[in-house]
Amino acid sequence: MTEEKMRVGLFVTCLVDLMRPRIGFAALRLLEAAGCEVVVPSTQTCCGQPAFNSGDTRVARALALKLIAEFDGLDYVVVPSGSCGGMIRAHYPQLFDDDPAAAARARALAARTFELTDFLVSVLGVGGVPGDFEGTVTYHDSCSGLRELGVKAQPRALLAHMPGVELKEMAASEECCGFGGLFSVKFGDISTRVVDRKCDNIRATGADAVVLGDLGCMLNIEGRLRRRGDERTRVLHVAEVLAGED
Amino acid sequence: MRSQAMFFKARAGDKLADRQLQANLGKAKSRFVEGRAQAVADYDAAPGADFEALRDAASAIRDRVLANLDVWLETFEDKARARGAEVLYARDGAEICRLVVDIARRHGVTKAAKSKSMLSEEAGLNEALAAAGIEPVETDLGEYILQINDNEPPSHIIAPVFHKSKEEVAELFARTHHTPKKDDIAGMAREAREVLREHFMSAEMGISGANFLIAETGSAALVTNEGNGRMVTTLPKVHVVVTGIEKLVPTLEDFSTLMRLLPRSATGQRISNYVSVLTGVKGEGDLDGPEHLYVILVDNGRASLVGTEFEPMLRCIRCGACMNHCPVYQSVGGHAYGWVYPGPMGSVLTPLYTGIGNALDLPHASTLCNQCGVVCPVKIPLPDLLRKLREKQVELKLRPWRERFALRLWGWVASRPALYGFAARTAVRYLSRLAGGADRIRALRAAPEWTAGRDLAAPEGRTFRELYAERVRHEGRTKR
Repeated sequence: MTEEKMRVGLFVTCLVDLMRPRIGFAALRLLEAAGCEVVVPSTQTCCGQPAFNSGDTRVARALALKLIAEFDGLDYVVVPSGSCGGMIRAHYPQLFDDDPAAAARARALAARTFELTDFLVSVLGVGGVPGDFEGTVTYHDSCSGLRELGVKAQPRALLAHMPGVELKEMAASEECCGFGGLFSVKFGDISTRVVDRKCDNIRATGADAVVLGDLGCMLNIEGRLRRRGDERTRVLHVAEVLAGED
Repeated sequence: MRSQAMFFKARAGDKLADRQLQANLGKAKSRFVEGRAQAVADYDAAPGADFEALRDAASAIRDRVLANLDVWLETFEDKARARGAEVLYARDGAEICRLVVDIARRHGVTKAAKSKSMLSEEAGLNEALAAAGIEPVETDLGEYILQINDNEPPSHIIAPVFHKSKEEVAELFARTHHTPKKDDIAGMAREAREVLREHFMSAEMGISGANFLIAETGSAALVTNEGNGRMVTTLPKVHVVVTGIEKLVPTLEDFSTLMRLLPRSATGQRISNYVSVLTGVKGEGDLDGPEHLYVILVDNGRASLVGTEFEPMLRCIRCGACMNHCPVYQSVGGHAYGWVYPGPMGSVLTPLYTGIGNALDLPHASTLCNQCGVVCPVKIPLPDLLRKLREKQVELKLRPWRERFALRLWGWVASRPALYGFAARTAVRYLSRLAGGADRIRALRAAPEWTAGRDLAAPEGRTFRELYAERVRHEGRTKR
């Protein structure tokens, strides 16, 4: 008897597409290593979060409907980003208050959408991971992943499977890094002050790398560490660490 | 208080550059954040106690009141009148001032001792009293400090001098009281007490806010950590309570539920030093209490929120937990927000009470990290409300055209996969060229605020879509 493979849609997210494709491939490798058949819809673009958070619901709805159609018929949708995952899970259903049919489809998609580490741990019960990272890491809990999706123990559990990784918790790991999407562009100086506190906490652990699950936080923290002259602390997406080099 | 909320960005910049303020904010923050965390943990440690369940119960109480606000107001009014209070309504700040000045004149008042009331800040009551020849004296230690510092506005709703250091206050006292500079808080408090005692004895009128109004008994409840609240409400022959119509709770039982949450959320205390439930005027044979009690119930924008998507904001019990935990408030302090209420709750209230167009920045001055929503004792979905205000701004076309255009353009491009693919490739090539072979971009004209404080990591050179399409083609060839 051959077991039917789970068909999992990978939502790559626009920031991964643009800035760090290797995170998308790392997520792909992790899902394949866990035995999933991974589908990457070629028409996918953006989940609509920037428009939603800016108050432009018209644009957010259009992009949501597009994404809902693209990932139709798959068993699960997996996202290597807490905030895009949170957009789909927590916010898509409420976008369609006056359109019951669309709301039902949004709820159905939300129910089978998972952040990457949450999916690996909570749905697949993954034990081992292919990565071979060696060193001490500290984990930054991104706000949406943590507070919208309950992602906290999952990435830590996966990192704990890696013999070369030592996790050193930073102070206030649950505090925002100050990215906030367009917030960091509109209020750059406030954002800088907030991310400075994060950088201080990261540095205080002496870790070789800060690991996180969200591209926005990643660009923000990395950008500030480098501007402050820290060339040593690596800033890595959890997928990269778990999947290792291709 | 005239709103300066439209200048948030500029004011925030000034506050970030203020080294003394930055040091003060850091110290104050850890005290409140850790205090609350400890209080919640202690509460949950007791058998059968669940702080989350308490939050649910409290928000249900608040919602129950708001669903029938008119009925509860009537009940309160009847009960309070039966105990000799006069209940008045004020539509706005100007009306508060007029009513209080009228009351003062009727009773020949020349000095009013005040205990903290945020509504009197909304109304600018002190200036109105002074203009009418009545001396207002703030008796809360924090508010007193601000008053003698040239009527500086409070920067926090429960800790008005959150932004000041002990040293700054010591200097202010030495300068104002003409006394040698003290270096201990107890000494400074004693000094203030000596000054204020004179005022308690001589004020003919006391003005206070109310943390809650209890409908079933017609009482006003006052939650404080300083004895001044009791002096102000019992010593003078006239007591005026100024508070919002939304502060009602149905019963004493409900009040006690909320009291399990308020001090823990605010200061990390199990209970505050003083909890006063004030009912009616001095009765026959009573040793103290006011002979005349006025309760001024204020709308000032509140009624217009009932039944709207913003109604949950009226649940607010003014504990300050949202601001204490807000990364933005922690960075710029309360004055940057420009009106009576700072932090996340202020970013919702200020536009709603002073006009959406007058506080365009505030709903955006949040990373939507939802730390505020997580700690709010009555579960106000603050990030959702901030986002709804952003929606209102877009609906009313109040956002700058560049921003509206950029979002529409992004939506238009992202709805067309082929075009999006092209745009993404172009953007990545452009950014790579800007990086010029380095792994980062130091200045980006499209987002100058971003690169003012941080580098932008250079993209890898090609988009995921390109690389993935290539992989699929390659696999297709090898499979064949």
